Amino acid sequence: MRFQLAAVALLACVGSVRAEELTIALRVQAEGFQPATIAAPAGSRIRLEVSNETATPIEFESFELNRERVVPAGQKATVYLSGLSAGSYEFFDDFNQKRRGVLTVE
Amino acid sequence: MLETLLITWRETLEAALVVGILLTYVARSGQRRAVRYVWLGSATAVVAALICASASGGAMALLGGETQEVVQALIVFGAVGVLSWMVVWMHGNSRSIQGDLHRQADSALATGRLIGLAAIAFVAVFREGVETVLFLWGVVVQRGVQLATMPLVGAGLVGAGLAIATAWLFFRGFAFLSLRTFFRTTGVLLLLVAAGLLTSGVNKLIGLGYLPPLVPQLWNTSWLVRDGSPLGAVLGALVGYRSRPSLLEVLAFAFYFPLMLWALNHAEAATRAAGPGEESARPAA
Repeated sequence: MRFQLAAVALLACVGSVRAEELTIALRVQAEGFQPATIAAPAGSRIRLEVSNETATPIEFESFELNRERVVPAGQKATVYLSGLSAGSYEFFDDFNQKRRGVLTVE
Repeated sequence: MLETLLITWRETLEAALVVGILLTYVARSGQRRAVRYVWLGSATAVVAALICASASGGAMALLGGETQEVVQALIVFGAVGVLSWMVVWMHGNSRSIQGDLHRQADSALATGRLIGLAAIAFVAVFREGVETVLFLWGVVVQRGVQLATMPLVGAGLVGAGLAIATAWLFFRGFAFLSLRTFFRTTGVLLLLVAAGLLTSGVNKLIGLGYLPPLVPQLWNTSWLVRDGSPLGAVLGALVGYRSRPSLLEVLAFAFYFPLMLWALNHAEAATRAAGPGEESARPAA
């Protein structure tokens, strides 16, 4: 409980100084990510909304972004990213590694 | 096919390593009842993973994706707590275990502690189990239930089996250590596992937007050990290795691990002070 309170307090502090929040929709279809290339300005807070439109579970994963999230078939998950510096960050579906995409931060 | 095998190997390895350490740890201290509880926890987790994964469209969906993730993170933190306490407690007991082997050790293992052991095994296996089952299930659904799919599922199961073999080989190495060194090594290893679990829980909460990463990428060691590589997987399972950790994850590790190491030494010193007779009767093994 105390941990949660601390987390909320910390989040509130960080939230107050944060300027822009960006929502990017990323669809996962049988043939791959749609769109396969997404872009965001450096330093922004990103809400990456991953919707799995396939009939099987997927795992959104990126070593470069240090994120992984299982998304069951037909469901949506929001992956938060923040403070990224310029560069390109690859991501893929760990359950079907032919599905790949890139996030370009500039 | 090889990809399927590698994926299940990687997913199963973490669970196999944790269960392996637990089994080696309690078996060596002669606690047979505890060994059974570790197996019980693991077996229950396999069943639970099968149920959860197959119900992921139903019951799990009711919880909602975000809630599931938060629940998972909380379960991980719970496991870190139980694991920390087990290590410190067990280490404090390893002296008396040497002295008067099974009887004393058995009586010292209250049911609550056995359930604690089972709980850690459960969490370790369940976490990775759900993913493995979901992944294999996906393979079957994608290609249809037919003869051609079976080799793929087989490859997946072989991958899981290989992970267990990897963990087994890993712990065979520990048999050569003296009892004293053995408890030190496995104790520290378990604390590393717990520290890795802690950072993975923190990572989850960062991804969910509940915690700020502070600095998203503190360093990048992917040139040395890639995350997806076999070595990366082993290190990931043992110490929660990630090539590009955020500052908050590093802080969690850097705070937890030294503190627990201190507690471990403290518990050891306290036992030594309490039972000097045993220590002198049995010079360092």
